[in-house]
Amino acid sequence: MQVNTVKETRITTKAVKGSSPWAIARRKFLKNKLAMTSLGFLVFVAIVSFLAPYITTQDIARVNIGKMSLAPSSEHWLGTDKSGRDVFTRLLYGGRISLIVGLSCTGLVIILGTIVGAIAGYFGGIIDSMLMRFTDFVLTFPFIVFVIVLNAIFGGQLNGLWILILVISFLSWGSVARIVRSKILAEKENEYILAAISIGGSPFKVIVKHLLPNVMSTIIVQATILFATMIVVESGLSYLGFGVPAEIPSWGNMLSSANEPDVLQGKPWIWIPPALAITFTILSINFIGEGLKDALNPRSRR
Amino acid sequence: MLKYTIRRVLGMIPMLFLISIVVFSLAKLMPGDSLSGEIDPSNTDPQYISEMREKLGYNDPVHEQYFRWITNFVQGDFGKSTRYKIPASEIIAERLPNTIFLGMMSLLITYVFAFFMGSFAGRKPYTLGDNIISTFNYIGLALPSFIAGVFAIYIFAFNLGWFPSNGSVNISLEPGTLDYWLSRIHHVLLPAIVLGALSTASYTQFLRNDIIENTRKDYVRTARAKGTPESKIYNTHIMRNSIIPLVTFLGIDIGVLVGGAIITETIFTYPGIGQLFLNSVTQRDYPVLMAVTMLLSFLTLFGNLVADLLYGLVDPRIRLD
Repeated sequence: MQVNTVKETRITTKAVKGSSPWAIARRKFLKNKLAMTSLGFLVFVAIVSFLAPYITTQDIARVNIGKMSLAPSSEHWLGTDKSGRDVFTRLLYGGRISLIVGLSCTGLVIILGTIVGAIAGYFGGIIDSMLMRFTDFVLTFPFIVFVIVLNAIFGGQLNGLWILILVISFLSWGSVARIVRSKILAEKENEYILAAISIGGSPFKVIVKHLLPNVMSTIIVQATILFATMIVVESGLSYLGFGVPAEIPSWGNMLSSANEPDVLQGKPWIWIPPALAITFTILSINFIGEGLKDALNPRSRR
Repeated sequence: MLKYTIRRVLGMIPMLFLISIVVFSLAKLMPGDSLSGEIDPSNTDPQYISEMREKLGYNDPVHEQYFRWITNFVQGDFGKSTRYKIPASEIIAERLPNTIFLGMMSLLITYVFAFFMGSFAGRKPYTLGDNIISTFNYIGLALPSFIAGVFAIYIFAFNLGWFPSNGSVNISLEPGTLDYWLSRIHHVLLPAIVLGALSTASYTQFLRNDIIENTRKDYVRTARAKGTPESKIYNTHIMRNSIIPLVTFLGIDIGVLVGGAIITETIFTYPGIGQLFLNSVTQRDYPVLMAVTMLLSFLTLFGNLVADLLYGLVDPRIRLD
């Protein structure tokens, strides 16, 4: 693996000598037009969503009976929904919630999965088999079914948003743990790990300083895929009415108005914006993921 | 193979047992108990309520309640729905065929589409047709099913009027007649396409890549050198090798269908198990909820089992460990 990287470096970058794998990956990524456009789009969506209070001055919560279901106009760019709330404003605030849920779930899942996977892979033996049996057990639950049941139990007790994030994360770390474990298993056979252990490095230090940096590229690619998946999960659950509490605007919650036939058929301005927002966000994250996978793979020569 | 099969099937039993404990504990943790559905709601006399609690066994220790539930459960008594006042098993038996029908149709659509698109794209890679198919695949993989479903209803049911937008059959038709079955197929087609889109895309992509990979293998070169017609190389030699790995996807598909059915059935208001599950959560119909959750978990486990067995069948090395 290591030899291979060096060789590829010489082939792809004749002019620049001795750039680090990360520098090569960065250059490859910057050259990927599709991934860069997607990144630009995603950054734009994130900035616009997080600056929502400064961009629009509309009240997201106030029900305005006089302005119910208005078609798009210069005053309401994307029209108003059935309670008279401005769709454009809700779209911005909804993006904020959807991105926060997506990012938090991804972060939690990656942290949990990496910890479990790294411990199982590094120590092996009985610790490995116990942890992996537990992982298998968590993975056998039909995901959607148990997210809905757990969310119904705990949903009313605390701030619903954080319960949702915890429930989703708790049920999805399994696959990351498996991937990290298999990577660590392969990586720890290298001699530099033996060297690190023999000079007295503690397991914690060996894992954090030597093993994790070498499996980081896999983790990063996994995180991108997860980010897209988590946005789908959040909006899907909210669409069904079992996700983010109904009073908080999220793309999924906005889309759930499409469940009413008259909205779906006659008032497309209410549900098409969130549907397109979800679709384009997911597509752009996927393109970024593909780009990262390509850039971090020393064998690809694009 | 037999030994491997037996070991895998037996391995399911402790898993099911653990899942039943989890399902039972979750149902106990849910706010309120099913008592509210079992008793006469107009009688609010505290003595009557406590008597009923005692009679229905809600005051027994938790493990006794669990064993009572699981004993009845394995004998096919899932309890009485607190909402519909009929045994949960009857409601499930009424809904399950719809979901199975939907799943079968979706698998059929997946196989047919993936076979033709995949073999075409694999045979003529990097052409216009391949690029179009790849674009479709990318959309199929990235577009969430609920968005695809909403757009499908908007375009094909409302604007074009090709398909009905909800239900499983035209209720005015007599069951058993040809029209009845045609109406069922007509109703199930759109949900099945939406449900199968994801699998279709991944099958097609897999088949395409596998065919391209196989074209470079020695046995294909040998066949070419012997002068075998190109169509025969693709249709017989390569296809046989590329189809086998696809078989193993069937098990994973069962799990995907279980999760997908919940969403798809809700979008299309299709009366199946998924919709029943969501309704039972909203209405706090615990006996039905527990039975459906167990059923869906069992189906997922069964899917994993099928996947493992098929892997073993296709690749004998897996059976050894």
